[in-house]
Order: sequence, then structure tokens, then C-alpha cells
Amino acid sequence: MAFCAVATTFLAGSAPARAADAWWTPVGLQGTAVTRVSAIGDTITVRTGSGATLRSTDAGRTFAAAPAGTTFPPTGVVAIGSQRWEIDSAGRVVHVANASQSSAAVLDPGSPDLGAGADLIASPESLPGVVVAVGTDGVVWRRGQDGDWKEALLLLPASLVQGVPQVTSVTAFTQPLEEHVVDDSVYLGTDGYAVLISTDGGDDWIRAGPGLPDSVFSLSADPIATSPGHVGVVYAGTSNGLWEHELQAFPAPPAYHDAQLVWRWIGIGAITLVASIAALLGMTRLVPRRHPA
Amino acid sequence: MATEARVPRLQRYRAAPWWPAATTLVIAELGLGAALLVPITFSDPNGVDPYLARLSVASVLIAMPSLFVRRLAPARPILLALAAVAATYTLLSAGPQILVDLLGSHSGSFDAQVLWASVAQAVGTSLIALAARRLVVPEWRPSLRLRHLSLRGLGAGVLGSAVLIGLGLALPANLLGRVALQPVAFGRDVPWLGPANALQAFSQEVQFRGLLLGALERTMSPRWANVSQAAVFGLAHLAISYGGPEAPFVPITFLVGLAFGWLVRRTNSLWPAVIIHAVADIALQFGIVQGLYGF
Repeated sequence: MAFCAVATTFLAGSAPARAADAWWTPVGLQGTAVTRVSAIGDTITVRTGSGATLRSTDAGRTFAAAPAGTTFPPTGVVAIGSQRWEIDSAGRVVHVANASQSSAAVLDPGSPDLGAGADLIASPESLPGVVVAVGTDGVVWRRGQDGDWKEALLLLPASLVQGVPQVTSVTAFTQPLEEHVVDDSVYLGTDGYAVLISTDGGDDWIRAGPGLPDSVFSLSADPIATSPGHVGVVYAGTSNGLWEHELQAFPAPPAYHDAQLVWRWIGIGAITLVASIAALLGMTRLVPRRHPA
Repeated sequence: MATEARVPRLQRYRAAPWWPAATTLVIAELGLGAALLVPITFSDPNGVDPYLARLSVASVLIAMPSLFVRRLAPARPILLALAAVAATYTLLSAGPQILVDLLGSHSGSFDAQVLWASVAQAVGTSLIALAARRLVVPEWRPSLRLRHLSLRGLGAGVLGSAVLIGLGLALPANLLGRVALQPVAFGRDVPWLGPANALQAFSQEVQFRGLLLGALERTMSPRWANVSQAAVFGLAHLAISYGGPEAPFVPITFLVGLAFGWLVRRTNSLWPAVIIHAVADIALQFGIVQGLYGF
């Protein structure tokens, strides 16, 4: 780990020098558990831990009771353009190639048995054919673009006395974002390990929950920009309210190429030299003259 | 392999006082610490700080005169050990980028680059160890304990690995970041990063429990020699990622260093520690899901 971090430092690119934005920021309902969230533009619908369904039409600044009969979109179905992936009642992944022409749902060859009741599936619009689905046993599966299904993530126990955290949600952007903006990420919410992200269709994952409560119950990716400069937001319903993540580049140490940098490095070199000479002089003074050499 | 009974224990050079070695270690560490930490006071905290390169230069600058100045000869094995730690770690860290700069698209995958960088670290460490064997007089010469591995030592390595993994699983997941296993990434990476981690473990054991402990115990009591090398081992982990969340792991790595040092002395072999260290590094590599900031 440490090596990778150091390697990252050495391999740092030329990102502009600026402070990184917070990865997650609170939206509202702090102190309240939010167990479901669905967002489209400024309209955010949530369900709280007490079972109340609330709606905000101002991007989460205020919430009011949602109209009766308000429902949330199913989490076991994902539609991308005319394609649709869904988990059937037996826990298998089926594919509808052209939903607009009422194509038949076909069992995806090689898809795993996720278990009856499995209902977490996601597919990023920017990676056609890639699907991430979660089994009832907590195993996260990924379908590569070649159609091959593999186990992609196995959560470990939180500690000796705690069990394996539950995967509560999975989401990805299913519509194009602003022009030239591509988000390959699949976001995985867990009740214990906050949020994990994969940017390569589920092969590699990173923890991406700094600032967020560990218990995340629901995720919703909203591709509609709510204000200038926004390219997409992921909302997280947590044990402590509703949070949002505005898409941004992964943090990297900024690289500087100004004249001051030269002087800074010269200064660093000078200090290194002085420290080394001081250490040598100290040793010369303190190490005894008589020795067996 | 040889049984432990046939392996002569290292003889301490009792005619020499302990304090020159301790003084050398403290002063060198202070010098390296100053080289590491003082620039932070005026360096941009968000800038790329070449602290590993800085530590390497300082460690080599401090070690080189000991090869030529007769008065510093007793300090030579200790300073060579510290130079091996810093310089070869920089080689490991910068290795992938160096390969990309030299070979461009022919440098292979990042996993392959890490393996070759690990090979370079092991070769660099071995060369410095060889230099320590050749350039240090017998009275001060560190015993690397590389020639012996008894069945008992092998068993200790296997048992120690199991204990360490058990401890890792017992600690809270969020403390270590060991939240999940990634089977696809594991299958792809293990042919490259498995050997790379084993080589890194070998290098570090040669540096800390071979060169440094071997040098210190020639004049210090075994207990204090072990404490001293473990302290440097812990501090080195602070230097690897100073300012990062690895700082709290310095006490843990100190304790691990103590245990490794005790095991090496107990079995009179470096290999049990190499085995445990390698297993731990591989488990860390594949059991820990990195965070946004690389930790």
C-alpha cells in the first residue's frame, strides 16, 4: 500500500495546483437515516428510516412529504438506451436487446445465480456490455465487455465480532453526461464500508467514502446538471442524512513548473547537504578514535 | 539448510563499547530526519515533495565518507545499512517511472514495472550487503544469517504468517482498509506482484534484520540491538509516507520489527522473517482496497 502511495507521488501527472473539492458533501436531513434515494435534476425523493417518503424540488435544500403513491424506481433493472438488463425472480441476469421493439428477455449466457430476491444491478452507459450485479450472498459479480462473468468483489468481515457488511446499493450513470465528460464508474454502497468505486467495469475497486458515514443504504446517479459547471451528481442515503458527490477527477498531487519550484528544490537540496554534513561531523566528534579497523 | 545446532551463534565483539554504534545510529537518524522534515517548513504542502530522493541522497552522503575516513570505520556497517534502506526504496518507488522514461511503450504493464523495480531493489540491497561483507572488518561485520534455514525456522515462518494474518483479520477493517478481496484483480496481478512483494520483503529483511541488526549486535546487547533496529524500522515507515495516515502504523511496525528481530535471533536465520514479511506484504497487497488518496 505504502509503496503504491509513494509510486503515485512519483508518477504524479501535471494536474493544476488547486485544493481538491470534498469528495462527499452533506445535502440535508442530517440526523435522519435515509434508506432510499432517487434523484432527477432538482427533484430528489427519499425514504427515511421511519418509513416517511419525502421529496425535494430544490436540489435537497428543503424537503416535504411526497405525494401519496410515490414510488422508487426498481433497483433490479437498468436501462441504457434501448437495452435493458435485469435480474429475474430466480436471481438470473436477463438481457433485453431492444426494449423499444419489445424484444424478448434472454438469459445472459454465463450469468451467475445471484439468488432469489437479488435486486442490485448497474451498468455504466460509457462501458457497453459491462454489468455489475450483487448476489444475495453479498458477492459482487461483473460482466466484462466480452460477456464473461466473474466474481469481482468479496467483502471481508468488519472485525472479529462483526460480520460481513451488506451491499446495499449499486449505481452508475446510464445516460450521457455533459459533452466530453465520461464517467465509467460503478458506485457500490455498503452498510459498513461506505462507498467503493470501480472505474474499469468491476475489476479493481477503491474506497471512495471520505467524509461519508460508514452506513450507506442507497445510491442514485443523476446525470442531469442542476447548475452551471455541474456534470453529474451521485446521491447517497446514509445513516446520517443525504449526501452528494459531484463528479471530479481523482485526487492527485499537483505538479508545479514555475521558477519558484527551482529555488524550492535548491533549498531542499541545501538542507539535505547541511543535515548530512552535520551528521558526519557529529559522528566524527563522538565516535572514538580507537577501534579495531 | 543446516540444523540450528550446527550453526555457530554470532559472537559479540565485547571489547568494543556499545555507545559508538548507538551514537552513530542516533546521529544518522537525526541527520536523515532533518533532511526529511526541515524542508516541509517552507515547502508547499500540496506540491510534489521528492522526499525519498532527498533521503537517499542524504543517506549516501552520510555513508560514503565512512568508506574513506578511517575514524568512521566503526560506523560503516550501520551507515551502509541505512543507505541500503533509503537508496533502494527510492529505486523501488521510482523504478516504474524510470522504465517508462527509458523504454516507453515497451516498458510493459505497471505490474511488470513494479516487479522489475523490486528486482532492482533486491539487487541493490544485495550489492550493498556484499559491500558490507567486503569493506567492514570482521570485528564489526554484520552477520546476514542467510545461509541457514532449519525446519524449526521454516515452521516458525509458516506459524508466524498465520498469526499475522489472523491479527490482520481481527483488527477492525476500516483501520487497515482491508475491506474486500478482488478476485479478478488478484488473478491478473498475482503473477507479477506476488514475486515483487516477496522480493521487497527479502530486501527489507536483509536491510533491517540482516545489515542493521547484524551490525548493532556486534557491540550492543541483543535486546538493545533489536530495539534499535525495530525503532529504525518503525521510523522508516513514517518516512515512507510522512503526513499520511500511515503515521499511526509506526508503533505497529515497531512491534513487528521487534518480533522479526527476535525471531531472526531465535532461529539464527533471516528466512523465517522473510517468509512472514512476504506473506504479510502479499496479504496487504491483495486484501486492502486502496482509498482515493492511495491508502
